[in-house]
Amino acid sequence: MIKVEVFSSPGCGKCTQAKNMLKAVVDEMGQGQITWREVNILEEMDYAVELGVMSSPSIAINGELAFSSLPSAKKLHSELSKRLTLAIT
Amino acid sequence: MYTIGKVAKQMGISTDTLRYYEKEGLVSPVSKTEAGYRLYNDTALQRIRFIKHAQQCGFTLSNIHELLKLKNEDSACCNDVRSVAIEKKLFLEHKIKSLRVMSQALSELIKICDDETRPLEECPILAALESSLDRHTKGVKHD
Repeated sequence: MIKVEVFSSPGCGKCTQAKNMLKAVVDEMGQGQITWREVNILEEMDYAVELGVMSSPSIAINGELAFSSLPSAKKLHSELSKRLTLAIT
Repeated sequence: MYTIGKVAKQMGISTDTLRYYEKEGLVSPVSKTEAGYRLYNDTALQRIRFIKHAQQCGFTLSNIHELLKLKNEDSACCNDVRSVAIEKKLFLEHKIKSLRVMSQALSELIKICDDETRPLEECPILAALESSLDRHTKGVKHD
């Protein structure tokens, strides 16, 4: 199971649209193998710091910081494909 | 209008700091006297207060530049400022975490030095620091 966590703060209008687009990628690829969680940085500051999140929004995959800003749908797709292949082999 | 000396005194900063703010594009005098002395108005004083408060919250001059730019941008909104504040808080929390680790390392070193009458060459703190340096160097060589 691959865990995708998106760190952002509520009220970030520009993030919402981008997040929805990325969530659609996860939903499409996931098929029960990828989980998506939205993390409110202000509520889980300690966890964000533990993962090395320095900017908002950021994305962690399997508990490791993967993108320090929201990636394009293509980039996220490619990263998740790589991990899904690794998980199978 | 206020001279640089008056502003510095009123704001509790040095005249050098004010000149530095000017060089960094943060606060500029509105005019100069015939003798070349800088003159500031109330808006400049407000801006200096803003800078001082922001510094107290941990913002660097570069952050403050960004905040002042946002303040004057028609297209900017409160959330843009909030994002800068959140990133600063993240930075500070990271720093606090590193400081805690450092403090813990110091506590451990202090704990191993249980006899302060020992000669310097038997100082366990220095020995521990040297051996950890050795380990680090060897680790780097092996990498």
